[in-house]
Amino acid sequence: MTGDLLVIAQIAGRRCALSALDVKSVIEIGTITPIPRAPVWIAGITALRSQALTVIDCRRALGFGGGSDGNDWPTDHRAAVVADGGHSYALMVDSIEDITTAADEAGQVPGGFGPEWSRVATGMVETMAGPALMLDLAALLAGPEAARHEIEAAV
Amino acid sequence: MDDLLADFIAETREMLEASGGELVAWEADPADRARLDTIFRFVHTVKGNCGFFDFPRLASLSHAAEDALADCRAGRREPDQQLVTAVLAIIDRIALMIDAIEAGDEFPEGGDESLIAAVDASHETVPSASLTESKEGSNPPLHAPADALLGTGEEQAAPYRRADAAAAQRTIRLPVELLDRVMSGVSDMVLARNDLAHRLRQAGNQPTIDGPFERLTTILSDVRDAITRMRMQRIETLFGALPRLVRDLSAELGKQVMVDLDGGDVELDREMIETIRDPLTHLIRNAVDHGIEQPSARLAHGKREIGLLAIAARQSGNTISIAISDDGRGLDEDRIAAKAIATGLITASERQTMSRDKILNLIFEPGFSTAETVSNVSGRGVGLDVVRQNLEKVGGSIKVTSVPGQGTLFSLQIPLTLSIIAGLTVDVGGHRFAIPQSYVEEIVQASARALDFTRMGETALVTFRGNRVPCLMLGEVLGLNTCEIAAREPTLVMLRLASGDLFALAVEGIHNHGDLVVKPLAPAVMRSGLYAGSTLLDDGQPVLLLDVANIASQHNLMSDTRVRAIGPLESEAVVTAELPRAMLFTDFAGRRSAVRLELVQRIETAPASAIDRSAARPRVVIDGLILPLIGLPEDALALPRMRLLRLSDGACELLYAVREVEDAVELKDTLHPVPEDALAEAMTLIGGQPVTLIDAHALFALHGEPPLAAARPRCVLPDGEWARTILAPLVASAGYDILPEGTADPAAIGIVFDDVFEVAEALGRALPARVIRLRDQPDAPPGCETIYRYDREGLLAALAEVNRAARAEGEAA
Repeated sequence: MTGDLLVIAQIAGRRCALSALDVKSVIEIGTITPIPRAPVWIAGITALRSQALTVIDCRRALGFGGGSDGNDWPTDHRAAVVADGGHSYALMVDSIEDITTAADEAGQVPGGFGPEWSRVATGMVETMAGPALMLDLAALLAGPEAARHEIEAAV
Repeated sequence: MDDLLADFIAETREMLEASGGELVAWEADPADRARLDTIFRFVHTVKGNCGFFDFPRLASLSHAAEDALADCRAGRREPDQQLVTAVLAIIDRIALMIDAIEAGDEFPEGGDESLIAAVDASHETVPSASLTESKEGSNPPLHAPADALLGTGEEQAAPYRRADAAAAQRTIRLPVELLDRVMSGVSDMVLARNDLAHRLRQAGNQPTIDGPFERLTTILSDVRDAITRMRMQRIETLFGALPRLVRDLSAELGKQVMVDLDGGDVELDREMIETIRDPLTHLIRNAVDHGIEQPSARLAHGKREIGLLAIAARQSGNTISIAISDDGRGLDEDRIAAKAIATGLITASERQTMSRDKILNLIFEPGFSTAETVSNVSGRGVGLDVVRQNLEKVGGSIKVTSVPGQGTLFSLQIPLTLSIIAGLTVDVGGHRFAIPQSYVEEIVQASARALDFTRMGETALVTFRGNRVPCLMLGEVLGLNTCEIAAREPTLVMLRLASGDLFALAVEGIHNHGDLVVKPLAPAVMRSGLYAGSTLLDDGQPVLLLDVANIASQHNLMSDTRVRAIGPLESEAVVTAELPRAMLFTDFAGRRSAVRLELVQRIETAPASAIDRSAARPRVVIDGLILPLIGLPEDALALPRMRLLRLSDGACELLYAVREVEDAVELKDTLHPVPEDALAEAMTLIGGQPVTLIDAHALFALHGEPPLAAARPRCVLPDGEWARTILAPLVASAGYDILPEGTADPAAIGIVFDDVFEVAEALGRALPARVIRLRDQPDAPPGCETIYRYDREGLLAALAEVNRAARAEGEAA
């Protein structure tokens, strides 16, 4: 909504916006303990004081990466800490850019955002820093499998 | 207004819970004025409050109950079965209405009148002879329409309630989230403290900081304990509802049951209380329905007419045990066995070999229910298997024992809390994981050959105490790259599932064990089914807690067929356990020997660097203790680390170096004495191979000595600023403890200035037995055993020399 504070971050080379209300803090990410047999988009867990955060690789959570293009973008050493459903997550993004205010409502663009982005994006939002894709946190945290299930269900 | 309403609901609920038990107790003893007063106060308070909030139906119900109870209080009426039932019905209805009010729903109309009438009717229509005289004095309560009653109720009750609240309320209500926040804050503080402790250690001794820091540590652990206790609730809250439950059940079934509750003051995590509520209720239903007989049957068997149901809670360490016992007919072994065979759980031949205990515990198997007719009370599609499952989910277990004709005892073991558990951390493939201690039966370290490691298809098996036990490679389970060397000599964690199944988990090393504060994991991670939560180690590193039960069931290690495969072997082990057992090993001379198992305290693994061979008898430092070591080969050790058997006779300890530890075996064969070998008690055959049994008596007579603390050599320094600031750090870093000035310790090495020494000698003052003399000038006067005070090498060499002499002397003595 107009005037809402947004955290602007680059994910997979695109400018994305998260509601600042969702973002609890931005942390320097420390050692990540990997979780064997967990989905690839979960990079592991890391400790934030006495709390364990699940680290989400946002690129992979969107369904990008894997294969050769996995290292195309550098990742920021900072991560956004968000909470959903009583669990805390650290979002690994390309970079965290700014905190700014939204200039209008999230709206659609002709032609859509592409399949990966449509699943997690609520729309495009104009900000002081330029246009950004407004992300739906719950959809992002559901991981790329969620999309596949939807497609399977539709078929 | 909303706050007031929430308070009203919460308060009413609390009183509801309390009054259920009170009512039954009161029914059992109508003369008990205290109980009657409690219940009266409850309905009275409800009446008062709901008038205040404009709930006319609640008001009329509570008013009716209040009237009836008031009559009892005034002695106009004798409380009887019907009255209690009617009052209980009203209280139930009040509970339902409260639920509806909280949910914001409209409570269905109607039904109140019949309840109100029941309170009246019971009073008017019971033609009981014992009641006639009391009835004479009593007038049928005059029930005005509910609306009309409202006004009066409100006025009377309001002041009453205030007084009650002031007297009874010594507690405050807090949202659980707030507690959780405080708790995690304290956890943060503990981590910050650990970090600080680490930094302080790096910075060296700082007495001005160490004192306050110690105090901080103590306070913090106190606060942590208190916070943990805040999440605890007395099990009373669970017990409170039980008398009522039993009363209703027994009334329904025409039985008479007395409840005996014990240990209500035991505290456990409130989440845990919620988890065990249903299992406990189910077991009680079962006991009343199936366990306790009809009064006539009981009398025929020479028992008291009234059955006894005892429920007792006990805390022992980190677990709570709850025992539910009845004095009913007991479990029928034959019927259970027949049923199990009929449902295909076991075969007839298996039944022959099974002990009574094993058969009784079949009732927890999925798909087992002994009641032929599914009654209204128990057997509502929820079996004892679900009870066991629910308990296992939280790391608990359940067992049953029973004596035919005398009763049945269900014993539940549940952990104190969900959030703090004792755990073991293990290493595999460079990762670290935690395993709940409650599953760990034993830790076995041995070579693959000794464990008779075999692969049957994809399944690995090891031989443990003569049984073939399935073995999971943790690295494979988690899809990790593990190193080959570790695979050849794995560390096995023997895990006993709550169902009794045993399996081995091969890991690369055991790291540590201690209390773990377990936090839940994100759902996407939980979906993998491998992890139960995460925890932070002392250094702040997050570690995943393995979900042992789930991993086992993913690998089909928890099916009931397994239980049976292992079952008979287990009972066999019990039978043969009386044979003496020994630890079988191969020593460095290549001889297969055995030592009686009672002597073996532990199997230690020590690095070669911990072994000191300078003295005539080798010593090894383990856990800060210097212990004698025997069995070492003559030549230098090629191994980087070695296995040591730690033997103890209670006072003395010694370590026996072995090439390989094989297994614990039973000494079945005859023991042939070998008089020519002083250290051998006997020769015996184990698995057809000759084995020397070590003579413990001779061994300890020769080598035993009480453990010595591996104390650092001590040093007394000269007085003065120079010694404190310049000499002390050098001496301390060389590995000497510095004694405070003025302490007399004959064993300490003294460092003194030559002039002081000469004066002391001349005056005959006491000097330490071993003295190093320092001089101020670089050049030594001839024939003087002094060291220039800045001659670092010379000083350290002298210290080492003196220390060696002191040790040699000590040993000779």
